[in-house]
Amino acid sequence: MTAEIGQAAIFLSVLSGLWAIGFLCIGLRTRNQNAIRSGRNAVIATFILISIATGALIYGFVTDDFSMRYVVEVSSAAQPLLYKITALWGRMSGSLLFWLWLLTVAGAIVVWQNHRYEKETNDTLSDYALIPIAVVQLFFIFLVTGLIEGVYNPLARFPNGQMAPDGAGMNPLLQTPSMAFHPPTLYIGWIALTVPFAFAVGALASGRVSSVWILRSRRWTLFSWIVLTIGITLGGNWAYRELGWGGYWAWDPVENASFMPWLLCTAYLHSVMIQEKRNMLKLWNILLITLAFQFTLLGTFITRSGIISSVHAFAQSDIGGYFLGFILTSTAGVIGLIIYRWKRLKSINRLESLLSRESAFVLNNWLLVGLTLIILWGTLWPIISEAINGEKSSVPEAFFNQVVIIPGLLLLFLTGAGPIISWKKITANNFQRMFLLPVVIGLVAGVLTWGFLAFVKGETSPLYSILCVSVSTFVIVAIFAEFYRGAKLRAKRQETSLLNGLNLLIQRNKRRYGGYIIHIGIVILYIGIMGSKGYFLLESKGLRIGESMEVGEFQLTMKDSFAKEFENYRRTGVVFDVAKNGRQIGTMEPARHFYYKAGQGEQETIESAIRHFGVNDFYIALGSIPFDVKTGGVVNVQVYYNPLISVVWIGVAVMVLGGIVAIAEKSEQNKDS
Amino acid sequence: MQKQRRLKVIAASVVLLCGMVLLVMVGIKRTSVRHFTPAALMADGNIMNNQQVQVDGLIAEGSSKWDAANFNLTFAVRDRETPATVNVIYKDRLKPDNFTDGGSVFVEGKYDATQNLIVASKLMTKCASKYEGAESATPANETSYISQ
Repeated sequence: MTAEIGQAAIFLSVLSGLWAIGFLCIGLRTRNQNAIRSGRNAVIATFILISIATGALIYGFVTDDFSMRYVVEVSSAAQPLLYKITALWGRMSGSLLFWLWLLTVAGAIVVWQNHRYEKETNDTLSDYALIPIAVVQLFFIFLVTGLIEGVYNPLARFPNGQMAPDGAGMNPLLQTPSMAFHPPTLYIGWIALTVPFAFAVGALASGRVSSVWILRSRRWTLFSWIVLTIGITLGGNWAYRELGWGGYWAWDPVENASFMPWLLCTAYLHSVMIQEKRNMLKLWNILLITLAFQFTLLGTFITRSGIISSVHAFAQSDIGGYFLGFILTSTAGVIGLIIYRWKRLKSINRLESLLSRESAFVLNNWLLVGLTLIILWGTLWPIISEAINGEKSSVPEAFFNQVVIIPGLLLLFLTGAGPIISWKKITANNFQRMFLLPVVIGLVAGVLTWGFLAFVKGETSPLYSILCVSVSTFVIVAIFAEFYRGAKLRAKRQETSLLNGLNLLIQRNKRRYGGYIIHIGIVILYIGIMGSKGYFLLESKGLRIGESMEVGEFQLTMKDSFAKEFENYRRTGVVFDVAKNGRQIGTMEPARHFYYKAGQGEQETIESAIRHFGVNDFYIALGSIPFDVKTGGVVNVQVYYNPLISVVWIGVAVMVLGGIVAIAEKSEQNKDS
Repeated sequence: MQKQRRLKVIAASVVLLCGMVLLVMVGIKRTSVRHFTPAALMADGNIMNNQQVQVDGLIAEGSSKWDAANFNLTFAVRDRETPATVNVIYKDRLKPDNFTDGGSVFVEGKYDATQNLIVASKLMTKCASKYEGAESATPANETSYISQ
């Protein structure tokens, strides 16, 4: 019965969606408050209806209702409760419903926030923004109704009252906490990005193209950025721990699909500051947030349409066509509105100098958008190459690793240079006061690193490693000097300690200094990436019990093997004694899990053993363990030494912390000066 | 003055744009790898000798040998439609999960036309799914390719 109620709720939400769009349009056009209110209520109604549908599906999971097709596909009776619930987004139909539900949550929150504004002013901007939100909702409602080919209604039952004895179960690779939370985190980030986009459209529609729409949606944007940062990292962290290939990022199409909106969101967070401060880039900001939003849909299109084969291998369906159609029509709509409001979007101010903070912002935007397009080009290269000369080609990881270096280093430089360069035009005084010290220290650090590696270690490091160290040092010195100068000034004014001064400084301008903390996080992240991508060691060997192998300074001896039965899987593995330079430091137990029930039949997974040495990781993955392992069978061992890998996670944590500081500033206040 | 400044901005933008385009073109030229079916690769054998290639096909039944002690996997990729096969050697890496006769396989490596052999640097397998074909609905968050 619950499934039927859920289905009914989905069909009713088609009406509430149409109701919302219709009444908001009419109400805003005729300034009819009752119609507007009715439209808002319809947005809330959609939220309630989709909540019912989602609740019904979760109920199906929890009660093991194996007459429901979707439940059978992703859950099984033996699945732990947590993974029964996360099965909600285990496959396409369910994840679309989940996505839709999050969208309706966002819609309801906008209505609620709007309620507060309405009391204070007679402001209709948020009501205008509700229309695009409702349109996007309606698109997703349409997708989950089951009316289109290839996507069935997630609440559908098997025909003729059929029932499966048990579910197929979720892929065991996905049954880990970080996989449970990685997809919803990304979804939340993407959906949050819908709100600033909706406000941009609302601004165009209402004609209020000043900075109000940006300020009103600022927290949504920043929230999206923070959540996307966490979500992308969770994915990398999951891949690192669960897939057994020792890496965390491989430029796979699906990874790129999540990374591109992040880059555009980052660009947008910067360019809006120019509009607020100097009233420039109005048109650009609208285009940028539109692009960012469309890229969240494009990601789904790329991964679900089957036009690109990916390691993630989301299966193919017709749904890609609908996404492409929606992307094209909604973009056309935005362009139409832009043309309609063309005159109001013209900037009064222009760049005064190529060496100014404005230019630094513009360059930052160019690089971030350029990087996005480069990654898109590489991701779509199989299609592009086939279109150009009929030869299907693709580019490997190496392509991305090579092309991102130069823009990446320039961006790194800007994280330091941007905050200290003066507005309008750089002066000799500004350069001397702000740049001289960081530049000199950065150069010295670069030379020292080069000298240390070349003469002490006898290694020739690639130029970009040296540059990375040098530029990173510059940024760190520049930002810390900013903090120091500000804190000293505050401390002096308030006659308090330097630490108190620092606290006051950050409290008074959370947005700005939160941003600088993010910049520090970026530097840390770069160092981590440089170490873990550029200097890892990999050794592979077939070992019998009692045999040893060497990786760098470490010696590994395979001591024993073990096998253990669990409820739904068998764990087999080996025990290693690990020694560093001959000194025993502990044991590691890499293993493999053999799952009896695993989505597509039985499945084996690698359960790598990871041991941290400071910020460096020692990582062992195993091949299949032969039955005769105790009597001389060979086990395949693959060992990675990943330097600075923990620095990657630390860098992201600092970025997130900075984001949280920045989001704490209230939107109405705008003290950036 | 105003004009000159504008010229400067345009010049800087053009330089930046050209730089990016150049970066991509060089990157593509250096790393792009052509994609083949086994039959197409054999037909183009002479042109592709000693080149990086990607081949997509099935693991030929009974062709695979796994020398665990030396980390050496050899097998043949069979065309999906014709009887053409290409031999593959994959060294120093773990044998991928789900590596079974008749399963889908994706190989990237250097092609030696004289021996009809790919020295693989990358190997991905996909399990021969029981659900495939029977299902119109399709797995979403499913990692069925296991990269090694």
